[in-house]
Amino acid sequence: MTIALFSGSIDKLTGASIILGGAAADDMDVEIFVLMQGARAFLKDVAGDPAKLNMAENPEMKEEFLASLDRLKVTPWMDFFKEAKKLANVRIYVCGLAGKIWGGNELSDFVDMVDDIVGIGECITSMQESDVHLFI
Amino acid sequence: MEQEELRNLNVDKSVDARATACPGPLLAAKKAVRELESGQLMEVMSADPATKRDIPKWAQKKGHEYLGTVEEDGYFRIYMKVK
Repeated sequence: MTIALFSGSIDKLTGASIILGGAAADDMDVEIFVLMQGARAFLKDVAGDPAKLNMAENPEMKEEFLASLDRLKVTPWMDFFKEAKKLANVRIYVCGLAGKIWGGNELSDFVDMVDDIVGIGECITSMQESDVHLFI
Repeated sequence: MEQEELRNLNVDKSVDARATACPGPLLAAKKAVRELESGQLMEVMSADPATKRDIPKWAQKKGHEYLGTVEEDGYFRIYMKVK
């Protein structure tokens, strides 16, 4: 599976993490290419802090959304990503351009679960070779 | 298997995933099954109703034998035999 993760919004990241969890349980190989807005969410000083992430839809309901996640005991998106990497072959790549837009110039600017900084060519090749493609 | 038979099973591993929502129980099952040998029994406890369908389907795909589900007060016990 290849996921082009464009969004850096908390609702879409949560959705992506749930899909990723299911894929990992199914032993799928997953390559995630973090593009544009997504790259910001993986910066060390942003990731893991819901206050720094917006909602893609119904932004006025962010607090309610977060409260519901908490009430329903939904694992935070970052933790699902980490768990999926432990359980299956999941690779996370940040688009070099997207990283630079948000001040992430080096791999060390991003959270540890990011495997590398790549160009769009890798993303395209992965999509050509993969059976399942998602754009989130 | 009948509910009573399931309740009387001596499982080799019990996974309590009641504190997590989908896909937490599924991931907990996947993690736990690695610690078991072929033929051993596992139960997964989940409070997420979606798990009642998810785990049997996952078990079938992975070649484990789904034995059945017991409904408790506010959660489920899902039983399987590891392939």
